[in-house]
Amino acid sequence: MKIKKAAIAGTFESSDITVSIQPNSENEVSIRLKSSVEKQFGDQIKKVILDTLKELDVKSASVGVNDKGALDCVIKARVETAVMRAAEETKFNWKVRN
Amino acid sequence: MYVPGNNPGMVKDAHIYGADSLMFDLEDSVSLNEKDSARFLVYNALKSIDYEGTERVVRINGLDTPFGMEDLEAIVRAQPDIIRLPKTECAQDVIDVEKEIERIESEAGIPVGKTKIMAAVESAIGVMNAYEIATASERLMGIAIGAEDYVTNLKTTRSLDGIELLAGRSHVLLAARAAGIYAFDTVFSDVNNEEGFINEVKLIKQLGFDGKSVINPRQITPVHQIYTPSQKEIDKSVRVIRAAKDAKKKGSGVVSLDGKMVDKPIIERAQRALMLAEASGIRVSEGGNDID
Amino acid sequence: MEYLSLKKEIIDNKDFKKLREIEQFLLKQGLRLDKNIEYTIAVYDEDKIVATGSFENSILKCIAVDKNYRGMRISNKIISELVAEEYVRGNNHLFIYTKPDNYNTFGDMGFYKVAQVPGEVILLENDPCAVGRFVENLKKKRVDGKVVSAIVMNCNPFTLGHEYLIEKASKESDIVHVFIVWENKSVFPSNIRYELARNGIRHLNNVILHKGKDYVISSATFPSYFIKRRDKVTRIQALLDIEIFTKYIVPALGITRRYIGEEPFCDVTAIYNNVMKEVLPLHGIEIVEIPRFSKKREIVSASKVRELIRERKFSQVKELVPDSTYSFLCSKKAIPIIDKIQNK
Repeated sequence: MKIKKAAIAGTFESSDITVSIQPNSENEVSIRLKSSVEKQFGDQIKKVILDTLKELDVKSASVGVNDKGALDCVIKARVETAVMRAAEETKFNWKVRN
Repeated sequence: MYVPGNNPGMVKDAHIYGADSLMFDLEDSVSLNEKDSARFLVYNALKSIDYEGTERVVRINGLDTPFGMEDLEAIVRAQPDIIRLPKTECAQDVIDVEKEIERIESEAGIPVGKTKIMAAVESAIGVMNAYEIATASERLMGIAIGAEDYVTNLKTTRSLDGIELLAGRSHVLLAARAAGIYAFDTVFSDVNNEEGFINEVKLIKQLGFDGKSVINPRQITPVHQIYTPSQKEIDKSVRVIRAAKDAKKKGSGVVSLDGKMVDKPIIERAQRALMLAEASGIRVSEGGNDID
Repeated sequence: MEYLSLKKEIIDNKDFKKLREIEQFLLKQGLRLDKNIEYTIAVYDEDKIVATGSFENSILKCIAVDKNYRGMRISNKIISELVAEEYVRGNNHLFIYTKPDNYNTFGDMGFYKVAQVPGEVILLENDPCAVGRFVENLKKKRVDGKVVSAIVMNCNPFTLGHEYLIEKASKESDIVHVFIVWENKSVFPSNIRYELARNGIRHLNNVILHKGKDYVISSATFPSYFIKRRDKVTRIQALLDIEIFTKYIVPALGITRRYIGEEPFCDVTAIYNNVMKEVLPLHGIEIVEIPRFSKKREIVSASKVRELIRERKFSQVKELVPDSTYSFLCSKKAIPIIDKIQNK
């Protein structure tokens, strides 16, 4: 999917994570992470995000992340939402996702 | 227990409070701007989180909204136990959803028929059509009344004693029983009014409802307490079941207890009482409740 | 904890009754309701307001939580809503002006410090790299010299007075950097003010024009809702603006001098100028104040030009602006602006 505009998903509330996505002029995926558990889980969080972006075929994006202790499934959900919004898509391919 | 679908904190911990059934909501508790967020969150949660056996229900948006179809496509694939339809007005509403669920189940390799449906009636016409709704599909396991919209549709307001819900509740209950499915009552939104809540639960239990929707973990214990049979009832039920099992062993078609004949409705009532007791966490000494 | 029965509501801009309630609530917290608000949300416990937050364009403001409801992360809820709505409206580079004490609260939600005036105000933005990018872009336009000057102007519109000041600086400096203040409250929109300035300096070969954008603070957009004493607002805003100027703009461009025009009319500008005279020398920046350009013993100012436009005295306008500005005023593009001035 192609990132067409800036979009955000998630909230700053406990157990959640905000994922903001913008187009990246450098044609690559860059992630900027802020988390209270960065030392222990920073890499894990980034991995979930990168894997999800790969599944969604996003090759270029500038991602800003503010984590409040979200589970992997929450991270994944917020990335999927943000990407859909940034790509201006409304119908998701649930067949393939499953 | 209702769980707002866009709230990760609540979604991930919903099962720790002891509710018998969790209802992840994509509908009224989610703002229009966040319908997509909630859908992805509930989908991912259902697929990853172990809810430790608690029944999982998802209330989708109606098929007449821009969100309903996308909700179904996602949620059926996440395999909840039940999908709850809001604002059901006629049998066709159920049939339409069933058709889509069936299609998605086949596409996704899910055993067709696995996903059950619960219908909520929230309007006068829905209540009037309750029986045809209740019998519209094999998958339909229960029918609920949603008071907020219903009461507005009737052009009145909710009151503590609930007289305005009398006809709606009775009708839905009758339809459920005639169709052989479950009946569920509506939410009580004043979380701080414990006494009012308890009175309402007692009322709907007496009317015959199988359960009640709650919006706060604090409301769970009162419902369990009121629905839990008394020790006397439990003891009596245990004896009835034991008598029925003995009769079966002997090959006798007649069950008797204390010199009196015990017929089917009484046995069913005893089974129900023991089921409720177990649901409330009470261990019943009579192991196994199945007779036939 | 999660299952609190608090209700969140979006307040309509025309719901004066509710807005007044919010104003009352803010007053109790020692804050004012900013006049310029685009979007407001409030959190209620039963019928009582316990928290609120608003924004206008990219600036979040008037955020407050009742002290009896603190620690429940309600501000997280408010900021989440405001940020989500901002993104929906296409604004993803967001700012907050607030008391320095609130840094931790907002820092927790991905807002980073740009600059502060100790004890008075802190400016935060939601992108830690944005100000760095701004500085990098400025550096690309750096030209070294013995005297590197800066001027900040609004140019609403560009007049002979502006031209005079810039020409003076141009003669006395190796390089002059002119910053156009960026906000759309002026009747001439930012990009038009920029164009008029660009055309007005074409004949000067050592003047570089810049768009002030996010880091030159305009009094039109500076929110003062959290500053107790109204008479201190301009001074505090000036201190913040100058802090940003000396922290980021000066080192990036090697600025050694700043030119300002004498200000006999506008109180706000006069206060600003005084603060600059107080602070800039402490950073090694020379401040040069030039008397205003006059014609027929009257100072040429943008406000005078707008007054003449309103009175439809275009021949007199012609005397006070360069040809480039005048031909713009005669063009089709100027019609909506002139209408606005004349119908005010």
